[in-house]
Amino acid sequence: MADATAEGMSDTSTIGQGVTVSRTGEHGAFGGELLTINFGPHHPSTHGVLRLIVDLDGEQVKRLKPVIGYLHTGIEKQAEALRWQQVVVVTDRHDYLSPPFNNLSYALAVEKLLGVDVPPRADALRVIMCELTRISSHLVWLGTSGIELGASTMLMYCFRERDTILDMNEEISGFRMHTSFIRPGGVLADATPRFLEMLDRFCNAMPANIDEYESLLTMNPIFRSRTIGIGRLPAEDAKVLGATGPMLRGSGVAWDLRKSMPYSGYENYDFEIATSELSDCYGRYLVRIKEMRESVKILRQALDRLPDGPVNIDDRKVLPPPREELETSMEAVIHHFKLFTEGYTVPAGDAYAAVESGRGENGCYVVSDGTHKPRRVKFRAASFVNLQPLERMALNHMVADMVAIIGTADTVLGDVDR
Amino acid sequence: MIADSLIVEKGVSAGDAWISVAPDSIHTALSGLRDDGYRLLVFLTCVDHLADSSKPTWPGRYELVYQLRNMETREQLRVRTFLDGDPPRIDSVHDLFPPANWDERETYDMFGVVFTDHPDLTRILMPDDWVGHPLRRDYPVGGEVVEFSEEHEVWQTPPPRA
Repeated sequence: MADATAEGMSDTSTIGQGVTVSRTGEHGAFGGELLTINFGPHHPSTHGVLRLIVDLDGEQVKRLKPVIGYLHTGIEKQAEALRWQQVVVVTDRHDYLSPPFNNLSYALAVEKLLGVDVPPRADALRVIMCELTRISSHLVWLGTSGIELGASTMLMYCFRERDTILDMNEEISGFRMHTSFIRPGGVLADATPRFLEMLDRFCNAMPANIDEYESLLTMNPIFRSRTIGIGRLPAEDAKVLGATGPMLRGSGVAWDLRKSMPYSGYENYDFEIATSELSDCYGRYLVRIKEMRESVKILRQALDRLPDGPVNIDDRKVLPPPREELETSMEAVIHHFKLFTEGYTVPAGDAYAAVESGRGENGCYVVSDGTHKPRRVKFRAASFVNLQPLERMALNHMVADMVAIIGTADTVLGDVDR
Repeated sequence: MIADSLIVEKGVSAGDAWISVAPDSIHTALSGLRDDGYRLLVFLTCVDHLADSSKPTWPGRYELVYQLRNMETREQLRVRTFLDGDPPRIDSVHDLFPPANWDERETYDMFGVVFTDHPDLTRILMPDDWVGHPLRRDYPVGGEVVEFSEEHEVWQTPPPRA
């Protein structure tokens, strides 16, 4: 067979589609030889195109090396060729399950550079969109994890509610998934009465739906035996490895940017940080379920206290004038023309803004050189960082447990590769 | 505690505190800051200041940015350092902050910054045989060879006798 390299990863030879096996020449604890298995990139349980090179002793994982980059789309490079307001559209696409968080981190960073604060109603609408998306992102996670861990009906239940959220996205922004709703200077549009009505219905119905999910999984013996004690990540390791979001809170660390470093008025909402001391896959499941409940609480508060007023800053250099002004005001026409041909400039400097997405810290670092295009836009992707503890979690577990571990890490490969 | 002699410049940009250090003291500075409580490296990246006229002169073409956070006091600090050279070289900090491992690989992949003593400095997002470093400012957008472009041309042209 092929020579083993220094890390013990030998050249793999394809014996079938999706999975290749090769021998490393090393011997494991049970006297057998270590086998290198190529897992992915086209494997349904890798949630996209993640490739894992795994060294197995029998069925135990002894080494694991994630290989990423299959979904690299060059969003950061593309952003440098676009004007400041156009970048919003590409931010939607890196973490494709939670566009408003991507929009928000970018918008907050640009607003920091511009030195503007958005009106309270815009903040409330941003919070509403983010919390709705947090729920829908957790629902996708719950549904797909359910399928992987032997509860295939979960997907039907979860996508039923997710569809309601997508309907709301459509109502408020015209798009079901890539909403581009949050942009520097405010939001795309005010909430329609129908949206608020839908949101009200959603907030009333959702707690019972979450109870329904829990009744299917929380005490389900198959689900419990596949998750409890699997993929343990002790709190200290999680911190050192830079994990954020449910990965960190599932290890018992109460760190949530919404509470720890509040933005967009999160300090005015009453909610709890969901944590679990279990530090395993089941703990991360409990954290996400609790987070959905807390999100519903936030949505209810945001809806009840939705302030009146504008949803955009009153700055014609950054945002276009209202449509009706274009017919009467020459100045508005000039502003409109300048904004859609040249764009606006942002003072030179750099800023970093981070928001708590469904996956962890979703940050955006923007550098301006004072022109109408960004010099550099860097997305601090939660999934990229949360993928690194994978080896630590999967070590000495069975191959089948790896599926549970990848699932509960909840990485979105578009976010990993950007 | 980080010695004042290491700090070249300090300031605040859009509300974010930053310091800049010399490239050869980056490891010392970051290990001092880590002992001070900045235990989380939020991200590490590079900015290419090629033909950047927002300042009359830049100390170097490549600006490496390390965003640090103290999770107890919730303070943040950005550490910058400027590099030149082809390839630009700097010490790896993966031993101080494990998440830097992949960030450094990405920075190498995208900007060609070589991190000395990195355990596995290979391309992470681009294919292993890729030529060039895409996020450099002199790397064009859409400049890569389009596969099947010859066939595409044939396909677009109608046959002569049609």
